[in-house]
Amino acid sequence: MRKVFLPTSVSEVRDILDGEPNAAFYAGGTDFLVQLRAGKTDPSCLVCLERVAGLRGIKDTGDAVRIGAGTTHVTLLNDPVIREHFPILVKAVSVLGSPPIRNMGTIGGNIVTASPAGDTLPALHVLDAEVEILSQQGARRARVSDVILGPGVVALEKTELVASIWIKKSPSWGIHHYEKVGRRKAMACAVASMAALVDVTAGGVIERARLAWGSVGPTVMTSPEVEAALVGKRLERGDLAQVAGLVERSVDPIGDVRATAEYRRIVAGALVQRLSEYA
Amino acid sequence: MKIRFVINGKQVDIESAADRRAVDVFREDLGLTGTKESCGAGDCGACTVLVNGETKLSCLMLAAQLEGTEVITIEGLSADEALHPVQEAFIEHGAVQCGFCTPGMALAAADLLARDSNPTRSRIREALSGNLCRCTGYQKIVDAVEAASQRMREEQS
Amino acid sequence: MKDAKSSLFPGMTYTFGSTPGAALNIGSPVPRADALDKVTGREKFAADYYSDDMIWAGVKRAGVPHARLKGIDTAAAVNLPGVVDVLTSRDVKGTNRQGVVRRDQPVLVNDRVRHCGDGVALVLAENREALSRALDLIRLDLEPLPGVHDMEEALAEGAPKVHDDNPEGNVLLRIELNTGSGTAAEQECHALVEACFETPWQEHAYLETEAGWARQEPDGRIVMVCSTQTPFRDRMEVAEALGIPPQNVRIIVPYPGGAFGGKDGISVQSLLALAALHSRGRAVKMWWSREESFVASCKRHPAKMYYRLGAQKDGSLHYLDARMCFDTGPYDHLGGVVLTLAFEHAGGPYRIPNVHIKGSAVYTNNPVGGAFRGFGVPQATSAIERTMDMLAEKLGMDPLELRLKNALRTGDKTCVGKTVVSSTGVVECLEKIRGHNLWKEREAWKSDAGAFRRRGVGLAALVQACGYGPVVPDYANAKIELTDEGKIRVYCGVVDMGQGTAATSVQIAGSILGQRADGMELVLPDTDRTLPCGSASASRCTYTFGNALITASEMLRDRILERAADVLMAPNKEQLALVPGKVRCLRTGKEFGLAMLAAMMDEAQRTVVHRFRAPVAPEVIVPDEYVRLHGLPHAVFSYGAHLACVEVDEVTGAVEVKQYLSVTDCGRVINPQLYEQQIQGAVAQGLGYALCEKLEVSEGRIVSKDFTTYVIPSAADTPDVESLAVEIHEPTGPFGLKGVGEVATNGPLPAVANAVADACGVRMFHSPMTAEAVLKALREREGQG
Repeated sequence: MRKVFLPTSVSEVRDILDGEPNAAFYAGGTDFLVQLRAGKTDPSCLVCLERVAGLRGIKDTGDAVRIGAGTTHVTLLNDPVIREHFPILVKAVSVLGSPPIRNMGTIGGNIVTASPAGDTLPALHVLDAEVEILSQQGARRARVSDVILGPGVVALEKTELVASIWIKKSPSWGIHHYEKVGRRKAMACAVASMAALVDVTAGGVIERARLAWGSVGPTVMTSPEVEAALVGKRLERGDLAQVAGLVERSVDPIGDVRATAEYRRIVAGALVQRLSEYA
Repeated sequence: MKIRFVINGKQVDIESAADRRAVDVFREDLGLTGTKESCGAGDCGACTVLVNGETKLSCLMLAAQLEGTEVITIEGLSADEALHPVQEAFIEHGAVQCGFCTPGMALAAADLLARDSNPTRSRIREALSGNLCRCTGYQKIVDAVEAASQRMREEQS
Repeated sequence: MKDAKSSLFPGMTYTFGSTPGAALNIGSPVPRADALDKVTGREKFAADYYSDDMIWAGVKRAGVPHARLKGIDTAAAVNLPGVVDVLTSRDVKGTNRQGVVRRDQPVLVNDRVRHCGDGVALVLAENREALSRALDLIRLDLEPLPGVHDMEEALAEGAPKVHDDNPEGNVLLRIELNTGSGTAAEQECHALVEACFETPWQEHAYLETEAGWARQEPDGRIVMVCSTQTPFRDRMEVAEALGIPPQNVRIIVPYPGGAFGGKDGISVQSLLALAALHSRGRAVKMWWSREESFVASCKRHPAKMYYRLGAQKDGSLHYLDARMCFDTGPYDHLGGVVLTLAFEHAGGPYRIPNVHIKGSAVYTNNPVGGAFRGFGVPQATSAIERTMDMLAEKLGMDPLELRLKNALRTGDKTCVGKTVVSSTGVVECLEKIRGHNLWKEREAWKSDAGAFRRRGVGLAALVQACGYGPVVPDYANAKIELTDEGKIRVYCGVVDMGQGTAATSVQIAGSILGQRADGMELVLPDTDRTLPCGSASASRCTYTFGNALITASEMLRDRILERAADVLMAPNKEQLALVPGKVRCLRTGKEFGLAMLAAMMDEAQRTVVHRFRAPVAPEVIVPDEYVRLHGLPHAVFSYGAHLACVEVDEVTGAVEVKQYLSVTDCGRVINPQLYEQQIQGAVAQGLGYALCEKLEVSEGRIVSKDFTTYVIPSAADTPDVESLAVEIHEPTGPFGLKGVGEVATNGPLPAVANAVADACGVRMFHSPMTAEAVLKALREREGQG
């Protein structure tokens, strides 16, 4: 029998932590409670964050958008600000889990779980998203990609809380692309995924691009060489196929029960060709 | 701990371990066995219930989280003796075979139709993509939801 | 509504609220009578049984694939607060052996562990937390033995034996047959193709895992509610294994939440009974977790099949050499019967005058192979149907024309030499495809593929035998009664696991007795109340039980009308008719209520029992009586033809089925809605088998044992299936019907594989055809290695 706290404010969370420094946090529970059932974690007390008001809400601050870490995926999907400024995040979330999972799971949870297959992570990376972290010492910001260190490993102290995610509206991009490869079309753990933000000239030539891949390394994988190689290429299969080899050399997948490393590597490279559909 | 919430329109006060799963509270403590368990890990949708108007997986919710909520289980989907249009359509269109996925499936469908009054077949499939069925191949379930949606639109007008 | 909803036992009587006024006409898509209670959550499955003062029981499983059991240390578990008892094989007083054909599977291991899922100890606890902790505290002293995890390895000289007392080494059953001039016919072939196919394990993945509830009554009898396909057979097995008289075991079966063959045999039954014997009258419940279900339940047999098929210049099939090996795991568990059925279906629905067929079921320490919808035929069909396409290509013939040319017609002999005397509609099924727009416009459809997509279409022609074969009796005892309330009560001893036997029974009896749905009642399987009706399997439920029920219903009808003729002073019963709730004299218009009439009839008069036993084939295919016992040959066959239209994604290798057409000959369709339910569901399972269901097993250990690593199709993955019926009347079937439960499962793997070959020129010999497997094949073809 474990204690379960349901705080409604950040200060209440802090008070709980004072008394129970080893408490485990969860929000939607879609990853954490599965781990708990499997016996992979055994905390003496749980803190459910789903009612903490300060962790909810999406706010347009002018040059950026602040997303409460406790914002559920379905809220992101339907929010007009997110839909207008960050379609790539909407695309990522729309293929995450299943409808009830999207009702329960949160963006903060997806970050802190830090699965190599986390669906929001490649999108957050190319968007240069930051997290705001609260602790006894106050607040600090860090890039999402700097907070995630490895599978299930985050650069957070036990008493630190991810409060919000900040995404700058600028630079804005012409093309927001996200593709997830899974073993079925819903409720699939990604075998490979790719997020891409691309700008092209009027003539369809790539001016700049930011790419990130999921499930092909311990964390989100990126490649400045690939991004540089894409500049000047047209949005056309043949051109885009030319960077496949570079991509394959940039990723570091493992093989597991869902797919071999070789397949993941090849698909990561092949996915770039899909950008030709935006021509 | 003491937990108070509203289930199927009725207020209940229960005494439960805080970390008891919601699905066990419904099935064992309240005798509402309509909500099923099939995987215990959020991968099948059999335990789907409505919490404050949203579908949630009750195998991944703890009793403490029920405090102050309004829950609808399959037993509460029909108002008094009248079936929800989704339930009537499931019967009429052959959407029920073994019936074990049916409670979760019907709630997911009812939730969809509360938000989208004219979903395409593709949208229906997407909305039900978190509810596994091993008997039907989903087709008659989609047929039923389509028919229920049409009937509900006709009744509105 | 159910009588006494709060009462614990469901073997009670159902009345039907779904569509009370529905007329129960044969051929009409009457909505299922059981749908109402299922859609409101009122229907209780075996997993939904709880009672006050109840004990939870759970099994400690071996966790290693092959070992000698040297000791079990239960001390810590027994002393845990909340633990009631810990039982081992020492507490099993009977044979401690279960099995349908060969009794070789222990209730609890006494000497040797033969697969990871073998149960070794049974814990009884007050709640699930204590149960779980107690299971962790049990220490097993196991001496690992070298295991066999590969069929070639198991058959090799000097291989470790899974059963020391098996004279055939690691062979459970071996069958061989030559017809015509056997292998000599190979030289006479104008065109010859050959290939090796491998098919994987498949998990049933029923939504309701194995579950049950049991209690020992004061008189010593055990009453059990459980999710099973075979209550009467279970009772015998439990009795023998535990050393109790069979009449002391009552098994009640509510609607199982899916089974598909996975509950065709013992799962929780003996364990529950054993627990009940040791709980001093307290009720016991057992409900396997999903992971436990994966580890302990049986699977579809994986198979390796080598096929060599030859034809004359005009496309007439001339020669088949088919060799198949089935990995049956450590126990018999219907493995020999599965092999025998695959063997009989090796050549598909075609005339092949010269065959050499060889089949073996091989023991290994892998998961247990058992019954699964199709029962060996999906494996064999996938081989012959992929080979047929290869042959069509070699001959330069259209794959549909090649199939039509060789398709069986009544009077032909099947590939094992059995003369087809029953209805044979495979030609009609194929012709339906030939005339369908999906086939006629396939080239236009294919050329319309979008970016990165290649389209293709593929065929499969199907056959599936119904029933148990010539030796094991395929019988059912129907019991039907006019109740004292004037309702017609059908005692249906065949389990309805979703296939709709309950609803069909009501429809059959209601139509003969002129009653609507609200005039009918149904008793679900209960060894105390319903009569033995055989298993819910082998596509024989409606055929065999339906035949018994038709005669019983007609007899009851006649009895009712004769009594009414006496009461109404009509000269004969021909002047009378049964209408809803009443008997009416057609000449005078006088009516008499059925309740009143029942009061004027002795209970024996208004109760009819009739036994039907299915006809069998007289041919002797192989001299071995033991093989014949396993079911060779069958007498009645259902047929089908499928067309799959697929798109292959060149970037990821993913195969998407865009459209699917199924045509089936299962004789006369009694209820089109139930018929479509069966076809659509079978195709969905077949598509999972073809595309995404991969059970990862490593050295006998199941690695993918949950729904995130073993994926079955979701609603977003399954296409709409157009389902047509070719209703060739089967004279021996109820209203001309044949079994429909299994035949469609056989189509998707070969139809999709053939479509993939059509789309991008790669033939897939292994499955599931995951995106990874297809991309690899595509790249190999393009020389990228």
